[in-house]
Amino acid sequence: MAEIDAAGRSTRELNSAIRRLIAESSKEITVRNPGARHNLAVAILDEVHILVGGSVGYYCGGLIDGASIEIEGSAGWGVAESMLSGTVRVHGNVGSGAAAAIRGGTVVIHGDAAARLGVSMKGGTVIVAGNCGYMAGFMAQKGTLIVCGDAGEAFADSMYATTCYVGGKIANLGTDAVLAPLDSSEAEQLEQTLTCYLPPSLRGAKPAAADFKKVVAGRKLWNFDKRDWRIWQEAL
Amino acid sequence: MCGIVGYLNKVGTEPRTIGSILLAMLNSLACRGPDSAGVALFGEPRPHQLVAQVKLGENGDDRERAGEIQTIVEKFGARDFTQTGAYLRFVFTETDDLTTFIAGVEAAGKDVEVVSVGRRLELVKQVGSPACLEKTFGISGFHGKHGIGHTRLSTESVVDLSHSQPFWSHGYPDLAIVHNGHITNYHQLRRRYEQRGIRFYTENDSEIVAVFLGDKLRQGADLPAAMQSTIAELDGSFSCLVATEGALGFVKDPFSLKPLVFAETDSFVAVATEEIAIRGAIPGDFSVSEAQAGEMRVWQR
Repeated sequence: MAEIDAAGRSTRELNSAIRRLIAESSKEITVRNPGARHNLAVAILDEVHILVGGSVGYYCGGLIDGASIEIEGSAGWGVAESMLSGTVRVHGNVGSGAAAAIRGGTVVIHGDAAARLGVSMKGGTVIVAGNCGYMAGFMAQKGTLIVCGDAGEAFADSMYATTCYVGGKIANLGTDAVLAPLDSSEAEQLEQTLTCYLPPSLRGAKPAAADFKKVVAGRKLWNFDKRDWRIWQEAL
Repeated sequence: MCGIVGYLNKVGTEPRTIGSILLAMLNSLACRGPDSAGVALFGEPRPHQLVAQVKLGENGDDRERAGEIQTIVEKFGARDFTQTGAYLRFVFTETDDLTTFIAGVEAAGKDVEVVSVGRRLELVKQVGSPACLEKTFGISGFHGKHGIGHTRLSTESVVDLSHSQPFWSHGYPDLAIVHNGHITNYHQLRRRYEQRGIRFYTENDSEIVAVFLGDKLRQGADLPAAMQSTIAELDGSFSCLVATEGALGFVKDPFSLKPLVFAETDSFVAVATEEIAIRGAIPGDFSVSEAQAGEMRVWQR
């Protein structure tokens, strides 16, 4: 396993070092002492596993396609933003805009997420073991957003066709977000996803899949209809 | 941009000074605010005495004016004068009539400003980096349990000492704030306060946060209630840290437009714009969380 010590090195140097190791066919790379710095391991297009031994700053794992990134601490704003495929796992909490605009892949957060989780996601799966903050799933288009704990205000506002599942309480639903029935085959699929991605210690403490609430778009905002002008007045 | 930091030592066993911890935190955020830097530090109080930090003028080192001010403040029992950079610092006898004291000092010149007054509070700020701040004031030698700091990237008003942060709530001892963001109903609120005779020292919208909180506390609100009312009454984006003689707190706007993270353990509370400021200054295994939209927290020392 290749190891990089981030202490005292610039972000550009570190990302170059990661790319150099990948070019030399490393499949397992560990970055020590990340010190919560920004823009680590962005736009990695190869199937490698990068373990970051601590907290990262903004945009870690952004734009990746195929890589697997594991962050042992917490992450700042925009973790995994616009990723295409691969996995980003964060052991701690994440800042605002986590998994924003992802097109595919899986983002797993063991802790809590701040505001705007998974906004405008266009595919992929986001799993938060803890709670999420304000306006998660805003304008999300495709994919699956799973929050095992509580969801903050304006949840799933103005969505297109993303499916959301919430294990805890929802502070309030956003514009045009509606609760939908969760049938048994879907609950089974959700259970499989949670079992597959969450460590047993985290999964054990969360509600059973059948008790999750399912939230989808009410489709009122999909097409403009002047008879529905009230909903447009309230929509952001 | 702008970077804000705050630290509160809960147990009193931290070997490093509050000044050195805040300086280390600010250094990590220097790139977020290259224009100016400042800290509001809370030391040990002296019985029945207040500490004043007075800006002598925009031109800095002005010995003649320092002499004039010394004469003016003699009647307030002022002593222990020291002059550092553009500042004259002194101790004076506690008074209920700070308004007269401030007006007296500021009569010495139109660019003279009483930058802070408090039993514990000492506020220094200037144009330049946190490293420059340390060079001028040696803040790392300051002992205390809590404080806040700021690095500024000016987006709406001039870059000079008075427009730098932290802001003291002029006339309210020991209340200081740092703010990252924009207060968009600033002009409306400012007009309302000015109609009541409250003086503004700068064109910086962040000053309104200090004025707002000072006003609420004067009306009898406690600190958490005063801070909670910013959510409903201030518009725009704000992550603010507030420090008083006995407390440190933060409040974040309801849209969560500006970053703010915090860490709390049995021994300390650290709050900063970015986690890099906390990890760079405080070793150990502890978790950091981003504050949620509209979240407010206050820790008593």
